[in-house]
Amino acid sequence: MKFLRSSALTLAVGYIGLGLAALALFAAPLWYAWRVTIQEGRNEILQSDAQRLTEVFRREGAAGLISYVDQRVGLQIAGERLLLVADARLKPLAGNLSAWPSSVPANPGTYTVKLELGQHMTDVAIVHATLAGGYHLLVGRDTSRYAPLERRFWYALAGAVAILSVLGTVGGILIRRALMARIHGIRQTVSAIIQGDLSHRLPTHHSGDELNTLSQTINGMLDQIEQLIDGVRNVSNAIAHDLRTPLAELRSRLEELALTKPPIDKTFGEIDAAVADVDQVIRIFNALLRLAEIDSGLRRSGFVPVDVAAVAAAAVEFYQPAAEVRGSTLSLDAAGPAPIRGDPVLLAQALGNLIDNALKYTPGDGSIAVAVRRSDDGSVEIVVADSGPGIADTEKIKAIERFYRGDASRCTPGVGLGLSLVDAVARLHGSELKLEDNHPGLRARMVLTQDTRPITRAARATSDEGEFRHEPVYP
Amino acid sequence: MKVLLVEDNERVTQFVVKGLQEAGHTADHAGNGRDGMFLAASEPYDVIIMDRMLPGEIDGLAIIEALRKSGKRTPILILSALSDVDERIRGLRAGGDDYLTKPFAFGELLARLDALTRRSQGDSAQTKLEVADLRVDLLTRKVTRGDRSLTLQPREFKLLEYLMRHADQVVTRTMLLENVWDYHFDPQTNVVDVHISKLRQKIDADFERPLLRTVRNAGYTLTSHD
Repeated sequence: MKFLRSSALTLAVGYIGLGLAALALFAAPLWYAWRVTIQEGRNEILQSDAQRLTEVFRREGAAGLISYVDQRVGLQIAGERLLLVADARLKPLAGNLSAWPSSVPANPGTYTVKLELGQHMTDVAIVHATLAGGYHLLVGRDTSRYAPLERRFWYALAGAVAILSVLGTVGGILIRRALMARIHGIRQTVSAIIQGDLSHRLPTHHSGDELNTLSQTINGMLDQIEQLIDGVRNVSNAIAHDLRTPLAELRSRLEELALTKPPIDKTFGEIDAAVADVDQVIRIFNALLRLAEIDSGLRRSGFVPVDVAAVAAAAVEFYQPAAEVRGSTLSLDAAGPAPIRGDPVLLAQALGNLIDNALKYTPGDGSIAVAVRRSDDGSVEIVVADSGPGIADTEKIKAIERFYRGDASRCTPGVGLGLSLVDAVARLHGSELKLEDNHPGLRARMVLTQDTRPITRAARATSDEGEFRHEPVYP
Repeated sequence: MKVLLVEDNERVTQFVVKGLQEAGHTADHAGNGRDGMFLAASEPYDVIIMDRMLPGEIDGLAIIEALRKSGKRTPILILSALSDVDERIRGLRAGGDDYLTKPFAFGELLARLDALTRRSQGDSAQTKLEVADLRVDLLTRKVTRGDRSLTLQPREFKLLEYLMRHADQVVTRTMLLENVWDYHFDPQTNVVDVHISKLRQKIDADFERPLLRTVRNAGYTLTSHD
C-alpha cells in the first residue's frame, strides 16, 4: 500500500478529481440547455401542427379533418408522428392510434406521457386540443427520436471521464516513478554519507528544476562539511605528530631525571630544558586556538576601518633590525593609505608571519620586499616577495596546510602554522593566500576586498561594529 | 608588596604564593569567589590576582565589577585560561588592569605585578625620566647619557621610555610587544631581543656601566643598581 501513500499519487488523484468536477460543471448546463431547447422546439412544432389541424376542422368540418388526417397517416411513417381524432366519448375517428390513450390527461394542453407503441412503452410528447362539437385532437411525437444523440452525448462524456482518469492515473504513476527514481538516488547518496563516505554527491543535471536546485544546495553543504571534517582530521593528525614530539622529549627527559638522579646543577639544566619543551607545546596550542578562533569567523564582528599600509609599515619597522642582523634588506613599497574594513591585530599578525617566514628562509644578503597597493575598486593587494629558494610548485598548496613544514625547514624554529594562519586571516577578509614564483624566491600575495564575505569556510557574519579591538593594556 | 590571590586551583596557588614569598612579598589566598570578594573589599592590598572561573556563585569578573563599583582602585591582574581576544577585552572592560593567560611563566606574572603596582603609584605626569646618568626629556624628546647626546629612532625612543618608566623592574618580551608595538600576539622570533640589542648599542656600548640588562628566563631590566 506504499503506492497509496505516495505524494505523487495523492497529487494525481487530486488532479483527476478536479478534472472530473470541471467536466461535470461544463456538461451539466450544456445538457440542461440542450434538453430545454429540444423540448421547446418539439412542443412548438406539435402546437403548430395542432393549430393547422384545428384550422382544417374549422374550414372543412369533422369529415374534412378525418379525411385530411387519414390522408396524412397514409403518407406518414408510423411512429414518426402520432395523430388521433376522437369524438366526445373519446372513440377514435381517424389517426394512427387504435384507442384514445388512457394516460392522456382530460384537459387540453401540452404533456409528456408514456404510451405503448408497438411493444415498447415510449415517452411521447403530445398536444391535446378540444375542437368544437366535443371532438378531441391528439398530436404527438416520439421523443426517442433524439435518444441516439442523447446517448452519444453520454458516451462522449463517459469517454472523457475515462480518458481523464486513465491519463491522470498513468501520469501520476509516471511522475511518481520519475520522482521515486530521483529520490532513490538521493537516498542512496545520503545513506552512503551516513555510513561515513563523505565523498558522495547528489546527482545533478542542468535542468534547474526544484529538485536539482535542492540537490545543488545540499551538495554545497556537503562540500563545506567535508572540508571541515578534513580540516579536523588534518589537525588531529598534525597534533598527533607535532605535539607528540616535544611531549615525548619532555617525558623522557623527566623520566631520566627521576631514574638517574644526576647532580643538582645538571638537574636544574634539565628542568630548564623541560620548561622549554612545555613552552613549545603551549606555543603550538596557542597557534591552534588562534586558528580555530579565526576560522569560526567570529572575529569579523570586530572589523574596524584599518589602514593596511600603516599596518605593513609598522610590521616592516618591527622586523627591520632582524633583517639587518641577517644582512638582508627589508623594504616597503606603499603609495599612500590603503584603507579596508578588517581586524588590525590579525592583519598585523599575518603580515608579521609573512615577513618572518621570508626572513627565515632567505639566506643572508637576500632581499625581502613588502608591497601594499590599493586598486581603484577599493581592494588592497599585499605582496611579500623574497629572494630565497622559494617553494616548488608541487609544494605550494601543501605549504598553506596546517603543520606543513618543508623538509628543508625541519631544523628551523617554528610550529608550521605560520602560513595557514595567514591564509585563515586572508579568508576572514574575503581573500586567500596565493604563493607564486618570484624568480628566484617566493611571492606571497593576497588581495583584500571591501566585500568581506568568507571564501569557503563557514562563518557567522554579523554587522555588529561596537567592539574595539586594539585596547592597550597600559593606557 | 601585599598581594591577594583569588584562585581555586591548588597547584597554581602553591606555585604563585611560594614564588611571591621568595620574591619578598606577602600573599593572601582565597579559594572561592565569596572569600575573594570579602578579602578584597576589607583588606588593603597593593595588587589582586584574580582567576576568572571560580567555584561558588560569584565569578572573577563579577568580583571585579563589584569592587570597581564600590570605588576600590586596587590594581587587578586577571589570570585566566580563556585566551580569546574577546575574553581579554571583556576582562579589561570589567575593570581589570592587565590580563595574563594560563599557562604562564612566573617571571611574566611577577613582572606584570611589579608594573601594575608601580604604575598605580602614579608617574604618568612626569616629563623627565632619569636612570643613573641616562636622561630622557619626553617633551623635547632629547636623550642624553652623561654629557653626550644620543640619537634614537622613534620606536627606539618609545622602547627606552617604557623601560625607563619601569626602571628597576623586570619587563618581559610580551610586555614590550604589547606596550611598545601594540602587538597582542606571539611573533615567534626573537625580534624583541634584536631591538633591545640595538638600543643597548646606543645607550650602553660606549659607557663603562651597562644599564640595560638581560634577566635570564624573564626579560630585561633598566637599572642603575648592581
